[in-house]
Amino acid sequence: MRSIFSIATTTVGEAIRRRVLLIILLIGVLFLVVAPGLGVLSARSETTVLRGMMLGIIQLTSAVIAIVLTVYMIPNEIERRTIYTILSKPVQRWQFLIGKYLGAVLALGLMMLLMTTVLVFTFWLQQRDASAVADLVKAPVMYFVQMSLLAAVAIFFSTFVSPLVNFFLTGGMYLLGSLFNPFFQTLSESQGTPALAKVFAQIVNTLLPNFANYNVQNPIINPQTQIQNEAAYYLQVTIYGLFYIGILLVGGILVFDRREV
Amino acid sequence: MAAAIETKQLTKSYKSRIHGRVNVVDALDLHVEEGEIFGFLGPNGAGKTTTIKMLLGIIYPTSGEGYVLGKEIGDMEVHKLISYLPERPYYYEHMTGLELLKFYGSLFGLTDQKQFEALLEKVNLHRDMSKTISQYSKGMQQRVGLAQSLLNDPKLLFLDEPTGGLDPIAHREIRDLILSFRDEGRTVFISSHELSEVELICDRVAIINRGIIERQGKLTDLLRGGRIEITVDGVPEQLLKDMRISDANVRTLPSGFLLDMPEENDPNSVIDAVRNQKGTIVSIVPRKKRLEDLFVETVTSKPGSTGKKTLTVEETTGAPK
Repeated sequence: MRSIFSIATTTVGEAIRRRVLLIILLIGVLFLVVAPGLGVLSARSETTVLRGMMLGIIQLTSAVIAIVLTVYMIPNEIERRTIYTILSKPVQRWQFLIGKYLGAVLALGLMMLLMTTVLVFTFWLQQRDASAVADLVKAPVMYFVQMSLLAAVAIFFSTFVSPLVNFFLTGGMYLLGSLFNPFFQTLSESQGTPALAKVFAQIVNTLLPNFANYNVQNPIINPQTQIQNEAAYYLQVTIYGLFYIGILLVGGILVFDRREV
Repeated sequence: MAAAIETKQLTKSYKSRIHGRVNVVDALDLHVEEGEIFGFLGPNGAGKTTTIKMLLGIIYPTSGEGYVLGKEIGDMEVHKLISYLPERPYYYEHMTGLELLKFYGSLFGLTDQKQFEALLEKVNLHRDMSKTISQYSKGMQQRVGLAQSLLNDPKLLFLDEPTGGLDPIAHREIRDLILSFRDEGRTVFISSHELSEVELICDRVAIINRGIIERQGKLTDLLRGGRIEITVDGVPEQLLKDMRISDANVRTLPSGFLLDMPEENDPNSVIDAVRNQKGTIVSIVPRKKRLEDLFVETVTSKPGSTGKKTLTVEETTGAPK
């Protein structure tokens, strides 16, 4: 356990010093700061647009950071030979992989916390409505679970594909899981769907992580839309995410355990 | 003496699109005794690092057996007793020397700051322990690498090119440190190209070429076969020829002659004979066989041409094992 913790904290230390990540984060923060100024350009309610835009900025920035941070994580350790020194110590490969993943999630959490703080501060300056701000924070919390799942996807692929391929694979899965998962779900449940298409939709729906679960911004942006039993929903999708993360990490460990490094 | 490392027919092969299955390490029989400094030599791509990685359990052998400190390779218990300094190591640059030792120490469950500081002092980095690794010179990085390799008080150290790319002063510092490891009773397994260094510090060596161990044995035995050159003047050439020294050559010089003979012969008999004839001994130059000569001779010969895949000096000289 101590090994995992040490590897995780070292990973955080490295991640928060990576210039490319800091630049992406800085751009995200800058957009959050200037977002209130752009809201006035919209024909819709200024608050609605502001909420949507700011949450969108956090989600997009976090997704880019999550992918860039994790796709290079394992390959870099191998290329720079740091992994050899670590694995020559009493550290199992699974401990190394879990430590790297947890470090990535922790670093991601810190960066998302910074963006959320900027979001809260900026929104508070605009609205000065404590309950609206508290409501707004729910989305970044769910995004954090979403990004943890995305990081697990990237870590899984990084055990056997190159960073470039991993970038597109993970990015592709994120887009598919966010945009098309609801479509496949509807397809698999619809009465009129042909049997073969139903099976295909079910397989895709099962295999593909449902990133759309965590896009909870709609009820926040549009108060008319509501999630029935919000707490139960958040708990359910969090458990779903943790379960999926577990599967991906076990898969990654199995591949990484036999991999030549 | 007990074996620190023992391999039996250890083989690592990879699939190549062009050549099919290629043995990077081929039926390796290695024997390293406890408490010795063992040099593992070979040209680039000979299979040295692959062998070390197999012994460390970082990669898996295709076939054969390997034992480190009496346990099968890959056994996590062994990892508590061994350490590794990789070739051209890279450490997390944002860390200071002290933080780096804390990190690697934590992987063994070590937390004693005084121990870390003492290790940095041992490698002469105690004044620079607060500098980040990015501020360290190459020699300092190598020394901090050695410090991390001593964290667990290892019985066996694997050092891959420990002096590669260092200046002469850093060379000497690292060499002295390695010698101190032997004095402390540790076994050191060095993979290196620095043959002069190896010659100075190693007790035994193995030369690997294209995955096959061509030579293995004590350095003193492997380097037998030197020559002695005696330059004489004031005596006829026939005197030297009449001595009938086997494998000796006599060359004529502008003044005198040069007798080149194997080092096994006693030079005193030549000196006495020349003096009896009122001649002069101009010089006596022992030409020791160097490790470099042996290395070049070994790696330029056809792989496996030394007779067997694993040829030990004991086998070639007929000496008892």
